[in-house]
Amino acid sequence: MDLDALGRCVSTASCLVTQTTSGLIAGLLLFLVAAGLTLIFGVLKVVNFAHGTFYMLGGYIAFTTLQVTESYTLAVLAGGAAMAVFGIFFERALIARVYGQDVLMQLLVCYAVVLIFDDLVKMVWGADFLAMGMPPAFQVPPLFIAGGIVPPFYAVLIGIALVIAIALAASLSGTRAGKTVLAAAQNPTMVSALGVNTDRLFAVVFAIGAALAGLGGALAAPVRSLTPGMGFSVLIDSFIVTVIGGMGSIAGALLASVGVGLIRGFGTIGFPTFTDGLIYVAMIIVLLLRPTGLFGREVV
Amino acid sequence: MTKTDQRITLRRRPLLAGAAAALATPFVARAQGTAKSGTVKVGMPTILSGAIALLGTSQRNAAEMEIERINAAGGLAGRKIELVVRDSKGQPQEAARVVRELVNTDGCEIIMDAEASSAAFAVQEVIRDLGVLCIHTSSETSSLTADPKLRVATAFRCARQGVHDSIVGGSYAAKVADAKKWTKWATCSPDYAYGHDTTTQFLDFFKHFKPDVEIITQAWPKLGAPDFTEVITKLIQAKPQALFSLLYAGDLSAFINQANVYALFSNMAMFDPNMGDYPVLTAVKSLPAGIYSGTRYLENFPDLPANAAWGEAYRKRFNQFPTNWSWQNSTAWMLAEAAAKKAGSLDAKKMSEALTGLTIDCPFGVGGKVTMRDDHTLVNYAVGWGRTTPKMPYVIDIEAGDWKQLYELEAAWKKQMNYT
Amino acid sequence: MTSGTAMRDIAVAAAALAILIAVPFLVHSPAFLDYIIRIAAMSLFATSLNLLVGGTGLVSFGHGMFYGLGAYAFALLMQRTQISLAAAAGCSLVISALVGLAVGAVCIRLRAIYFAFVTLAMQMLFYSIIITWQSLTGGDQGLQGGIPRRVLFGFDLNSQFHLYTVSAVVMVVGLLLLRHVSASPLGATLRMIRDNEPRTAFLGVTVWRAKLTAFVIAGVFASLGGILAALFVSGAYPELANWPISGQAIFAVMLGGVSTFLGPLAGAAILLALGDAVTRFTEYNGMVLGLVILFVTLGLRRGVLDVLTEALRRRRTGPAAGAAE
Repeated sequence: MDLDALGRCVSTASCLVTQTTSGLIAGLLLFLVAAGLTLIFGVLKVVNFAHGTFYMLGGYIAFTTLQVTESYTLAVLAGGAAMAVFGIFFERALIARVYGQDVLMQLLVCYAVVLIFDDLVKMVWGADFLAMGMPPAFQVPPLFIAGGIVPPFYAVLIGIALVIAIALAASLSGTRAGKTVLAAAQNPTMVSALGVNTDRLFAVVFAIGAALAGLGGALAAPVRSLTPGMGFSVLIDSFIVTVIGGMGSIAGALLASVGVGLIRGFGTIGFPTFTDGLIYVAMIIVLLLRPTGLFGREVV
Repeated sequence: MTKTDQRITLRRRPLLAGAAAALATPFVARAQGTAKSGTVKVGMPTILSGAIALLGTSQRNAAEMEIERINAAGGLAGRKIELVVRDSKGQPQEAARVVRELVNTDGCEIIMDAEASSAAFAVQEVIRDLGVLCIHTSSETSSLTADPKLRVATAFRCARQGVHDSIVGGSYAAKVADAKKWTKWATCSPDYAYGHDTTTQFLDFFKHFKPDVEIITQAWPKLGAPDFTEVITKLIQAKPQALFSLLYAGDLSAFINQANVYALFSNMAMFDPNMGDYPVLTAVKSLPAGIYSGTRYLENFPDLPANAAWGEAYRKRFNQFPTNWSWQNSTAWMLAEAAAKKAGSLDAKKMSEALTGLTIDCPFGVGGKVTMRDDHTLVNYAVGWGRTTPKMPYVIDIEAGDWKQLYELEAAWKKQMNYT
Repeated sequence: MTSGTAMRDIAVAAAALAILIAVPFLVHSPAFLDYIIRIAAMSLFATSLNLLVGGTGLVSFGHGMFYGLGAYAFALLMQRTQISLAAAAGCSLVISALVGLAVGAVCIRLRAIYFAFVTLAMQMLFYSIIITWQSLTGGDQGLQGGIPRRVLFGFDLNSQFHLYTVSAVVMVVGLLLLRHVSASPLGATLRMIRDNEPRTAFLGVTVWRAKLTAFVIAGVFASLGGILAALFVSGAYPELANWPISGQAIFAVMLGGVSTFLGPLAGAAILLALGDAVTRFTEYNGMVLGLVILFVTLGLRRGVLDVLTEALRRRRTGPAAGAAE
C-alpha cells in the first residue's frame, strides 16, 4: 500500500490526467467485450461463459486477415463478422437447447465450447503466442492533451467504443427492431404470439453480442498477445463489469467498465499489488448494497 | 422395453466395455509398462495446453532430438529410451498425480520434470516419496535446490537459476548505469512470487555493485494481464532513467507493443533478463533497438559452432526457433547420457552419485562445458547480457557473465539465506 | 427420517468401507489407491456442493474457496506447529466453519445468478489473497517442502496404504454424515426452500438461518476434501483454490446427477477416471473433455446416476408408467 504516492498523484494535474485517461482506455476496451455479454444476458437470459472465446477468435482471425490482406480495417471487420456468423451457429446449435434450463447446464455447455476452441486454436495457430503488430498508420508519437498522454491509436479505439455504446443504446430504444428486442426480453411468449419470429430475433441478438466480443479482440490485437486461453482473463473482467453494472444494462456496463478502468489506473499507484483485490471488493460491496447491480433489474 | 431399445443397448455394450477398459488401464497396466524388455521408459510431465503450452512443446521437441541421437548411439546404459509425455495443465496436484502414475503404472524409471514454478515443487515431493531419478528442466526458483530442507537425494535441476540471473544482471546493469550515469530506476515485474523474489534479488546485487541508485517506483502488473496501459503511464509519470523488468513471453511482448504506443522507450532504457529468447524476439513486430537483454537462448551465444549447429538443426526440424526451455531439456538428456555411461546402470542411487559433480561437453556451456554441481544444480552454463536489434541475430554486443564472481556472490547469498 | 433408513445407510457404508479396505489385499495397484484417495477428496467436495445446488437450490460458483481453505489451513498448521494431525484437521474445519459463516452471511442475501457471482467473487478474492500474502502462503509457488505427515492413530501417512485407508474412512464417514444432513429435518427444510422459498418463509421457517446452516456445513465438508487433497500432494497450492476447481466440482455434480445422493460421488469418479485416461492418450484433453460435457448436457440432459435411477424405476413400474411421466 502506498497512499502517499496516491495522494501525490491525485494532487498533480499531469498524473491525474494521465492515469484517468489510461483508466478510461482500459475501461472502454473492456466495455466493448462486456457490452456483448450484457446484451446477450439482458435479452436471452443466458450467461455466456464462452464470451472470452469469441474475443480470442476475433483476435486470431484478425491476425490472419492482416497477414493475408495487410489491411487493419479489413482485419477488424473480419474479426467482428466471423464472430457474428459463429455466434448464430453457436446459439442455434447449442444454446437454443438449454434456454430456460438450469444455469449450470448453460455454464457447462459454454465451458465445453471454451475447452474445445482453446484446443482448436492451438491446433490451427500453434501454442506460441503471437503479436499482430501496430498498423503503420498508427505508428506515430503520442499526443499530449492537458498534460496527459493520449496515443492516437487509443484515441481511435475510444472513439469506436463510444460510437458503439451510443449506437447500441439508440437502436435499442429508438428503433422498432430495438423495441421488439426489449419487448422480447421482457416477455418472449407475448412477442412471439404477436407474430414476431423470436427464434430469429434471439439468434440476431446473439450474433451482435458475439460480434462485439470479436470486434474487441480484433481491435485490441495490435497491442495484446494472442495465446490459446487468452479469453479467460477478459471473460472474468467482463463478468465483473456486467455484474457491477447490472446484468442486461448497457449503460451499467459502460459505467462499470470505466469504474474498473479507473480503479486500475489509480490502484496501480496506491495499491500496486492489490489492484485486482480492490476490484473484487468493489464488486462485493456493490452487490451487497444493490443486489442486482447498479442498473440491473431483478431476474429469477 | 421395446425392440428398438434393445438393439441400441446391444450396440452400446461393446462401446461401454471399451470405454471401461480404457478408464481402468492405469490399474492393470503395470505389466505392460515394463513388458518391452531392453528399453527404459522416461516420463516427462509438462504443460501442453493453455497460454504457456510452448513450455511443453519446445521441450518435447528438444527431447525428441536428443533421444533420437542417444538411441542411435546405443541408448542409456545399453537400453533404448521410450519417452512418455503427459500434460499436467500446469496444475501442481495434477503434476503430482501424473508423476506417480508415470512411475507406478507406466513403469518409468527416470522423470524429466518439465514443469514450471509450483508444479516443480509438487513433483519434488513425489520424488521424495518414490525415490526415482528426476531432473527438473524448467524451474528457475533458486530455493528448489539451494535450500537444503527442500533438497532430495535423487532430484537435480538442469536449468538456469534466478539467483544466477540476478547476480549477472546486477553486475551488468551496474556497469551500464555507471557509464551512462543512470541513478533513477523503476521496476515492473509480474505480481507473483517469481516476480517479487527475483526483483528483490536483482536489486540487492545491483545495489551491491552500485550503491547510489534510487528506486523511484515499482509496478506489479498481474500475470497474463491483457492490458498494461495504467502501468505504462505510471512508469512514464515517474520519469526514471532506466526500467528493470521481469516480464516474459506473451506478457513481455504485449508490454513492449503497448509501451511503443506510449513511446516509453524514448523516455527510458529497459533491462529485462527474459528478453533474449526467440519466441519474444520474433513475436514483437516492431522490436525497439537497444533494450538491454539477458540471454536465455540464442544461437550466437555462446559463440560456439556446436551451439549454432544445434540451433539450426532444431529450426530446420521443427520450423520454429528453440527456446530457453529447449536447451535446458537437451542438456538434461546429455547429462543423463553421460551419467549412465559412468554408472553403468540406471539405478537411481548410482545415477545420482554419477550425476553429482559431473562435468560434460555441452554446446550451451561456457567454453563448451557445463557441470552438475554438488548441490544438484547446473552451473557454468552460458549467461550474459546484450542489446536488442530488430533483425537476426536479435541480440548483439553480448557480454558473458563472470562465473568466478557469480560463485562468490552466490555463496554469500546462500549464507545470508541460511542455506549452508 | 426413520431409524430404518438410517440403519440401512450405515450398513451400506460399512459394506463399502469393508470392500475398500479389502482391495489392497487382493490386488496390488498403487494407481488404484491413488485414484481412491483423489476420489475421497473430490467426492466430499462435490457432494457438499450438491447440498447447496441440488439440496437447497443455491448455485455456488465459488465452492472451491473452501476446498482451498481446508488445504491451506491444514498444511500451514502441520508445517508451522507441532500439533497432532487430527488436531490440525479439526482446527482447519473450525476455521472453515467460521469463514463459511462470515462469507455465507454476506452471500445468502443474494438470489439466483447473483448468488452465483458473489460466491465467485469471494473465491477470486480469496485466491488473490493467497497470491498476495506471500510470506504466509508462498504465493503462487505454494507451500513448499511438503507437509510433515505425522502419525494418526497409529497410521503412518507417509505410507500410501495407510493414507489410502484413512482417506477411505474419511470419505465413507463424511458422506454418511452428509447423507444424515440431507435426510434430517434440516434437509427437508432446505428442499422446501429450493422448491418454493416464499411459501417456506410463510410456514414460519427462518429461511436465512437454514440457508446459512447449509452454507456452513457444505463449506466444512468441502474443506475436509481439501485436507485430503493436501495430504495427497503433500502441500497446498493456489490452484486448489482457484476458479477451475469450482468448475470441476460443478461438472462432477452435473455429470453424476443432482437428484441422487451418490450422484456427485459417481460424477467425481467418472470425471477423474476420464481426465486421467484422456491425459494418457492425447494432449488435446480440453477438446475431449469439452465433447464429453456436450454429450452429457445436450445428449443425456441429466447426470448419469439420475438417468440410471429413472431407468430402474421405469423398469420396476413397467413401461406404461414410464411413458405416462
